[in-house]
Amino acid sequence: MNAYNKRWLCIELPATGYREAWNLQSQLVAARKDKIIDTNAVLLLEHPPVFTLGRRGGLNNLAVSADFLEKAGIPVIQVERGGSITFHGPGQLVMYPIIDLRVARLAVSDYVENLEEVMIRAALDWEIKTERNPINRGIWVGNNKLGSVGIAIRRGVCFHGLAFNVNLSLKPFGWINPCGLQDIGTTSMERELSRKVSMNQVRESVKRHVEAVFGVELIMTSLLELQALLQR
Amino acid sequence: MKEISELNLPDDIRYAEDHEWARLEGDKLRVGLDDYAQDQLGDIVFVELPQVGDTFKQGQEFATVESVKAVCECYLPVGGQIIAVNTALEESPELVNKSPYGDGWFVEVNPSDLSEMDALMTNEACLEKLKGAE
Repeated sequence: MNAYNKRWLCIELPATGYREAWNLQSQLVAARKDKIIDTNAVLLLEHPPVFTLGRRGGLNNLAVSADFLEKAGIPVIQVERGGSITFHGPGQLVMYPIIDLRVARLAVSDYVENLEEVMIRAALDWEIKTERNPINRGIWVGNNKLGSVGIAIRRGVCFHGLAFNVNLSLKPFGWINPCGLQDIGTTSMERELSRKVSMNQVRESVKRHVEAVFGVELIMTSLLELQALLQR
Repeated sequence: MKEISELNLPDDIRYAEDHEWARLEGDKLRVGLDDYAQDQLGDIVFVELPQVGDTFKQGQEFATVESVKAVCECYLPVGGQIIAVNTALEESPELVNKSPYGDGWFVEVNPSDLSEMDALMTNEACLEKLKGAE
């Protein structure tokens, strides 16, 4: 692996609609494939409330009617990532790394484990002890899920990524069986600590651990700079 | 992940950029995913295959494979009509890991233009490309 691949662009976005972030990811994957850019990139953001279904669906794990969600103003979007239904909303830190796994010589399972490791270490910074579950990916506090992973691979480039529950309203998780699992719950850092946590501090912690776990340096890049790179 | 020298890349098939393989059997092609791809993906838990009768152009997405929490798109190495799919993968997706060139095949294709095979790589070229990516 050459030194260039040790530098990843990192773009911190304000709250971003799911489809908008999805388009940006697709654009980055296409640019990587067409060799318009040759660096990996990481998007960090929060989404307005949205349910997403994985490649194999998960609508059967939705416990409320489409009507109910429409009234609540929460869209349900089918996407290509692995995993089943999940919820994203304000207070959840979402990270989408767009990485050429072949160039990085990373096996998919190692990559997924690395994403989990980033969240495990970030949670530990707040003294929240989490574990992996051999059957269900993500990170867990007992039977409650604190962070999720779901990725897709197109032309050797991965996208989608992880979702880490910081100060998230957990109510919408009560309307689904997250990831298609029954008898499990969802938790957040806020719930574990009984206090709000600074999202900025969590972002900084996650960035630091991405650098350590993947052995890379994050180059902070604005969306405008990224768009200029994509339009070269 | 396997070292490149440990990969099994037989010489009787041709390889596409994204590690699908194609083997000419009479006038039809058998298609699957190569050893590098199955090894990189890890334990495959689901394979989504097309329907018999579907047609695809060369390089078009025709299937997806899912390892735990990761979905990977697969592209048809040579365009044509799907004449058979490996239904055994519905029950036993792990065959892709166990036998990528045998029982883990994906589809059989009636190729629309066999000269498209020329764009694919030999095992040696595939190996060289993998070494170059290091």
